[in-house]
Amino acid sequence: MLLPKFEFHEPASIQEAIELKKKYRTDARLLAGGTDLLVHLKKKLITTDHVISLLRIKDLGQIKNNKESVEIGACVTMARLSESKVIQENFCAIKAGADNLGTHLIRNRATLGGNVCNASPAADTICSLIVYQAHALLESTDGKRELPIESFFMSPGKTDIRDNEILTGFKLSIPGKNCGAHYIQLGKRKSSEINIVNVASFIQFDPSDQTIMNSRIALGSVAATPIRSFHAEKILQNKKASESLFYEAGEAARHKDCKPIDDFRGTADYRKAMIGVLTKRTLDAAFKQVQAQ
Amino acid sequence: MEKFDIISSRAPRIDTPDKATGKAVFIDDISKPGMLYGALLQSPHAHAKILSIDTSKAEKLEGVKAVITSKDAGSVKYGVSPARYDETVFAIDKVLYVGDEIAAVAAVSLETAQQAVQLIKVEYEILPAVFTVEDALKKEAPQLHENFPNNLCAQVHQEFGNVEEGLKQSDIIKTTTLKNKRQDGACIEMQGCIAEYDVREVLTLITSTQVPHYVQRTVAMVLGLDIGKVRVKKPYLGAGFGIKASANPMELACCILAVKTKKPVKMNYNREQVFMYSRARHQFTHTITTGAKKDGTIIALKHECYLDGGAYTSFGIATVYYTGSLLGGPYKLANMSYDGYRVYNNKPACGAQRGHGAVIARACFEQQLDMIAEEIGMDPMALRIKNMMNTGDTTCNDLNMSSFGMSECIEAVRKGSDWDKKKGNMPKGKGIGMACGFFVSGAGYPIYRSDTFHGTVIVKLTEDGGTALVYTASAEIGQGSDTAFAMIAAETLGIPLENIRLASGDTDMGVDLGAYSSRQTLMTGHATKEAAEHAKQQVLEVLAHKLDIPMEDMDIKKGFIEFKNHIPDFSVLRTRYIKEHRGWTDNPDSEKLTFKEASRIAFLEKGSIVGTGKYKPQLLGGKFKGAAVGTSPAYGCSAQVAQVTVDMETGQVTIDHITDAHDCGKAINMTSVEGQMEGSVSMGIGEAMHEEVIFDDKGRVVNNDLAEYKIVTSMDMPIVNAIVVESNEPNGPYGAKEVGEGAIMPTIPAILNAVYDAAGVRMNELPLTPERVYNAIQVYRKKLSA
Ligand SMILES: Cc1cc2nc3c(=O)[nH]c(=O)nc-3n(C[C@H](O)[C@H](O)[C@H](O)COP(=O)(O)OP(=O)(O)OC[C@H]3O[C@@H](n4cnc5c(N)ncnc54)[C@H](O)[C@@H]3O)c2cc1C
Repeated sequence: MLLPKFEFHEPASIQEAIELKKKYRTDARLLAGGTDLLVHLKKKLITTDHVISLLRIKDLGQIKNNKESVEIGACVTMARLSESKVIQENFCAIKAGADNLGTHLIRNRATLGGNVCNASPAADTICSLIVYQAHALLESTDGKRELPIESFFMSPGKTDIRDNEILTGFKLSIPGKNCGAHYIQLGKRKSSEINIVNVASFIQFDPSDQTIMNSRIALGSVAATPIRSFHAEKILQNKKASESLFYEAGEAARHKDCKPIDDFRGTADYRKAMIGVLTKRTLDAAFKQVQAQ
Repeated sequence: MEKFDIISSRAPRIDTPDKATGKAVFIDDISKPGMLYGALLQSPHAHAKILSIDTSKAEKLEGVKAVITSKDAGSVKYGVSPARYDETVFAIDKVLYVGDEIAAVAAVSLETAQQAVQLIKVEYEILPAVFTVEDALKKEAPQLHENFPNNLCAQVHQEFGNVEEGLKQSDIIKTTTLKNKRQDGACIEMQGCIAEYDVREVLTLITSTQVPHYVQRTVAMVLGLDIGKVRVKKPYLGAGFGIKASANPMELACCILAVKTKKPVKMNYNREQVFMYSRARHQFTHTITTGAKKDGTIIALKHECYLDGGAYTSFGIATVYYTGSLLGGPYKLANMSYDGYRVYNNKPACGAQRGHGAVIARACFEQQLDMIAEEIGMDPMALRIKNMMNTGDTTCNDLNMSSFGMSECIEAVRKGSDWDKKKGNMPKGKGIGMACGFFVSGAGYPIYRSDTFHGTVIVKLTEDGGTALVYTASAEIGQGSDTAFAMIAAETLGIPLENIRLASGDTDMGVDLGAYSSRQTLMTGHATKEAAEHAKQQVLEVLAHKLDIPMEDMDIKKGFIEFKNHIPDFSVLRTRYIKEHRGWTDNPDSEKLTFKEASRIAFLEKGSIVGTGKYKPQLLGGKFKGAAVGTSPAYGCSAQVAQVTVDMETGQVTIDHITDAHDCGKAINMTSVEGQMEGSVSMGIGEAMHEEVIFDDKGRVVNNDLAEYKIVTSMDMPIVNAIVVESNEPNGPYGAKEVGEGAIMPTIPAILNAVYDAAGVRMNELPLTPERVYNAIQVYRKKLSA
């Protein structure tokens, strides 16, 4: 398969990039690792006259630790996320997704911004970003914008980004003590998978009596975008952690919160059943993290 | 046992330096001055009449040098087996599957060629299409081939002994079904070729093929050229697995374009086209009934199978026969019947893939053996050993096991896996299972009826005496055959491996049927041995004459001449040799006469020393219809133990470990044998666990890339303990026989038996996706609680 012809731009700063984006708007595509974009171009799923590479923009490749919060540049790769100490220590659900995305080769190129902007309901980092309540940082010649990640996704492949904007990164508050989170994805083989379903869970405990003060659960591959599992979260509210409670939450996620479809990767029934299992397992893992603190 | 200097060692492969440094030349690396690029127009419809083809716009596009359709390619039918030549290069009035070739373009660039293909206008009348065996067999089903009513491409009905009687005498009868899914060979290298037609009207095709010889014959036949004017060469290959074991329409189109334009033309399949062309493992639906006595003796086997064949026959005739015949062993079995049906439909044609025809039948049957063992409370290994054939035995369908280390393989995996301790004692969710299998070591007959030699080899000694050149038309496709033949030549000549230079894969070098049916080590190996013996004999003849010593009293070992009695005075020969090399610094001063000296002296006497060798199998058994498929000069056999973990909540199966023992006769190269065993296991796991070509309701492949068609990754591959069990095959060169395909036979049933052990579920459909296993576990749980 041949890559179609296009004009290639390599801005060295965010300013240059947003000016190019302003000039070409929908005639241009942004290129980060290219592991989605180039595949789509080769398969002729999309066409474009201009490709604007973001890889020379140093600012987009940084992880900044601001003590209370962390800023992850849009072009930080999965491999970098996996190795990063702040991520390992504070955002292990993101690390779990980054560790398993694609293959070694893909992880060396695939970026967090690309994963989010590609907006696949099966994406390996989005559920985790949702449960950590990340904010997407957007920039255009009109100025900067911050959007809660949960409201960023419209439909498969579509986000709330504007034609003249680029995503510069993500802001995440560092969770306090007594918090735990985990992410699990389920596929047919152990590597280079496209998820059948995937789930991230986050819980915060009251240290005095071990009840769950707060929880967020996000489900992937069961709707047009990754979604929150509010019924499951409600079941957990102010309850003491236990295996049966987590099972109950899983059953709520399975029966009340997800609306998967049948496709060649799996049936809706199986997806629902697995949402139950993975919800239970991620909660359990999150709980064990807190116990180990 | 004979002691060898080179054979049975772990000599590094002769292609390793090239491949490890990226210097090995594959088809993609080759380009020619003035080369054009070709592209194919393939049908977007699964079944349609072609009403008209308008190529005028394409022809007018700048840079286009030729546009060809069936008008140029003609109507010569070709295929794999002459009895079922049912393909033409381009569709003439009907297309039968999405991907059927209609036209081709040659242009100055690939972009231009692809653009021109878009400009060809075809008017179709869409016809109703069928995509499954069931639908294709219905009375009112659309018919694909006039001469084959009811879409029945082939049917086989065989009975050996008396199955009904056998089942009556049985105490235990098990009937089960097993269905696999259509595979893709998923060779990392996609097919590609370059055709060139020179001013002397010789057509040279360089192509990524397993079978230069069959491609040469097909090209000559379809283009109406003399065989002597067609040369087919293969560069290094990124595997074949059976998918590249016959001429493909792109190769033929490429040749026609080269003849027409008088320029070199290059063509490649992209991954989508690889899936469209297909020719990989069929989807089989087996129903097998096995009858046994209470003591575990197997009495009878009744077997029925439907093969989902696709639009053309390809290897299908051979496949449908192999499917039946290779259940004849490795167990003593007096009564066996088989009814096989290969059915056409509007999907790409299936063909041969590693373990041709026999893999899923084996997977079904070996599960039944475990079911019988369980019912009578016998260890599955004991049951198998009880029924095992012995060396020299012949199956009810006339397959002779001239060497047979099957029981040794079972013992090897029993020990290697710690079976006795583990079987019956695995924790919940973990399981252990085993199975056996065997496979031909080369098809007994060529694909076209002929008395031809299956392989010829030339060994030529260089004039300086130091090096032996080995020329074979056989196909190194990644399996290590070049290394095996270099080792055989070195061993036979009695010289170090470094002193062999080997060239292969070129029809100008002789006849060789190629890399399929696990034939090359045995067959080309024989021819290599004979050619090397012939060359050696000529050297020794000259020496005998010069030294006045009988030939029988001399031999060549490790590059030196060995004399049986005493070392004669050979100073005259040495002086002569040294004189020939005035000014050279590496004059021999060894106590022994070197091969180099002897070979140089022989050259001075006789001119070029050329040894020739050839091979065809001895007369093989079987007089019944179809006996030619399954007979082989030898059979490799193997046993495997799989250990698995089943996640009872998600249905995910992890293969934890495989213990694999294979009897390959004498291992020519130990490392290569282990490599083939591990490769077979990985392909078997892929088929058992993940692989499945999926179509939409229009006959298009949905998962036509390696992201969605899931072959095994390194992360899925368990540790494989590969144990080489050597026997001495009387019909093999130095006792060698196959390992390339036989090693896949036990993998799938061993996994299925282990999954049963772990989860209590017997699976009757592959692959074992988490969902399929999960559903089976739900059904099982309901049954338990009911
Ligand atoms: C073999 C293979 C395996 C894969 N496996 C997985 C997997 O297991 N899990 C998974 O989730 N994904 C997987 N993917 C998909 C892909 O690797 C990921 O989605 C990856 O994170 C995309 O990042 P990228 O940097 O390569 O994005 P690109 O391909 O460069 O871009 C993706 C999209 O985002 C847009 N974009 C990128 N950066 C920005 C930005 N800063 N601002 C605005 N728009 C932007 C691009 O224009 C494009 O539309 C796989 C891909 C391949 C080829």
